[in-house]
Amino acid sequence: MAFLELDNVSKSFGQVEAVQNFNLQAERGEFVSFLGPSGCGKTTTLRMIAGFELPTAGTILISGNDVTFKPPQKRNTGMVFQAYALFPNMTVADNIGFGLKVAKKPSAEIKKRVAEMLALIKMEKFGDRYPYQLSGGQQQRVALARAIAIQPQVLLLDEPLSALDAKIRVALRQEIRAIQRELGITTVYVTHDQEEALSLSDRVVVMNNGCIEQVGTPFEIYNFPQTEFTAQFVGTLNRIGATVRDVANGELLIDSQRIVTAQKLEGVSNGTAVTLSIRPERISFAADGRKPNGLNVRVENITFLGSIVRVQVRAGDNVFLMDTFNNPFLKLPDIGDVVEITFSKEAVLVLKHA
Amino acid sequence: MKKFPFWAWFWVVLGVLYLFLPLYGTLDFSLRMVRDQLSFAAYEVVLRDPKFAATFSYSFIMALWTILASTLLIVPTAYWVHLKLPQLRPLVELVTLLVFVVPAIVLVFGLLRIYSRPPLALTNSDLGADILLVAGYVCLSFPYMYRAVDTGLRAIDVRTLTEAAQSLGANWLTILLRVVLPNLRVAVLSGAFLTFAIVIGEYTLSVYLARPAFGPYMQLLGRTRAYEPAALAIMSLTLTWTCVGIIQLLGRGVPGQGQLAGTR
Ligand SMILES: Nc1ncnc2c1ncn2[C@@H]1O[C@H](COP(=O)(O)OP(=O)(O)O)[C@@H](O)[C@H]1O
Ligand SMILES: [Mg+2]
Repeated sequence: MAFLELDNVSKSFGQVEAVQNFNLQAERGEFVSFLGPSGCGKTTTLRMIAGFELPTAGTILISGNDVTFKPPQKRNTGMVFQAYALFPNMTVADNIGFGLKVAKKPSAEIKKRVAEMLALIKMEKFGDRYPYQLSGGQQQRVALARAIAIQPQVLLLDEPLSALDAKIRVALRQEIRAIQRELGITTVYVTHDQEEALSLSDRVVVMNNGCIEQVGTPFEIYNFPQTEFTAQFVGTLNRIGATVRDVANGELLIDSQRIVTAQKLEGVSNGTAVTLSIRPERISFAADGRKPNGLNVRVENITFLGSIVRVQVRAGDNVFLMDTFNNPFLKLPDIGDVVEITFSKEAVLVLKHA
Repeated sequence: MKKFPFWAWFWVVLGVLYLFLPLYGTLDFSLRMVRDQLSFAAYEVVLRDPKFAATFSYSFIMALWTILASTLLIVPTAYWVHLKLPQLRPLVELVTLLVFVVPAIVLVFGLLRIYSRPPLALTNSDLGADILLVAGYVCLSFPYMYRAVDTGLRAIDVRTLTEAAQSLGANWLTILLRVVLPNLRVAVLSGAFLTFAIVIGEYTLSVYLARPAFGPYMQLLGRTRAYEPAALAIMSLTLTWTCVGIIQLLGRGVPGQGQLAGTR
């Protein structure tokens, strides 16, 4: 049985349907991310798990217990906020020990646990400092320590790294993941940053407009997006208009050039207009020899991005991007050239229409 | 070369004279009780008067009660409004400003009408009258206390701090006492000093409730003596300014977000 379970959870604020029919089953120790654009209902869902919002419908279970209407004080969830939310009047040690003190644990035990937590976040020397004497990254580590000091059943993080600068963001997210693994805490992590979600999670829940678009491993989400939204939101996406030429053989037409998809074409007939998605990194310039899918295109723009070179090409009305790895011997076409590009049958995904 | 800003300086000097000349006059007058020399004789007379000590300490104690009552009333209220009913904030602000609309004389007659007959005949006993007085003072201090606390609440992220404490298992009382109040120390203290300054000099309420307060004593002295009231005026002014100075000082000792340096 799942450790954290959300069953058909919905939440509306008056007219606004913030979350609709949210279903999730997370295993003990799993790291799940909610990924989606701002306003899609990630925070609201997280706050319902924490008990700060009551669902309009549905149930929430933690370890088999229905907590839907339990007040937040009684849920034993650890929460980490974007704005750190450390108590400004308390030292780092008192912040970390707050939950234990409230639970009336003996002071020797509190002291011991606080010391453990400080060691865990590698801030042993900072116990006597006040929050305003710490950098943003340090404050967030203290907030993390404070949340896990109470040994929560579920750890909830709402965009914990958004206020930090890029370098610290990457370092701290690895640290969060390492601590989470070490302690085996079931974790829900909210972010609008796809890189964060993909690099950290066991599973990613992609959300849009209060609904789940797709749930899957980072690998599945990135390589096999099932909806147009997921494909577009996660990674860079080429959306290409095409018409079905032959359902049985998976043949399609792009700008009256024939290509083939490995995907089974279902629910369409010959002549139906469909939208395809191809990741930029799956496309390359056609060398001589066998080409599964060849397409003649005109080069419109070339952008040098360091390790990769991004080329914008056009076929009829379709503009799309292709990425090639940079190397010193790379021969690039000129803007305006007509070249042939190629991609595998498997790279061509036909998107479900919402 | 820049022209000397004559008119700017003219207005500044005029303003300073307007404010400080009368003050200087009072000060000078208060020092001339003994003919042809400057002395603190008037101050001595005032300080020796047992009624001075009695009324001042009475008002002092009433001020403390007022501060306690208004803190207990306003901190939880302002906190709750911030957290749960932010849309009501303008309304609450309006309510606190009512004291400026309703004159103290109206307030005190209202109190007298209601509380001088059963079932709540508070004016018949000293304790009852003291309670009425403090209640009236709480009303008078309302706008100042509320403003101070409201500003303090705005300086910290109350909502998130509350939620953080809740998720750590704290109940409302714990949150109020351990999280909210300590972070409002500066705000409550500034409100308290303003309240103190108001209560010490207050006249109307205490005179109509017949309380032995400092305000009526100052009035009485003013009507019957010459030099002593001037000395008293200078003293109470100094007291008020000291209060204001302390508020300023407290405000300055705030590094970052509403942090009192002294909490260390
Ligand atoms: N307390 C609230 N009152 C009214 N509407 C809200 C409230 N909280 C969130 N919403 C609305 O619900 C939707 C989802 O918000 P939120 O969960 O914060 O999104 P996200 O965290 O994904 O950016 C938004 O349209 C937002 O405006
Ligand atoms: Mg959010």
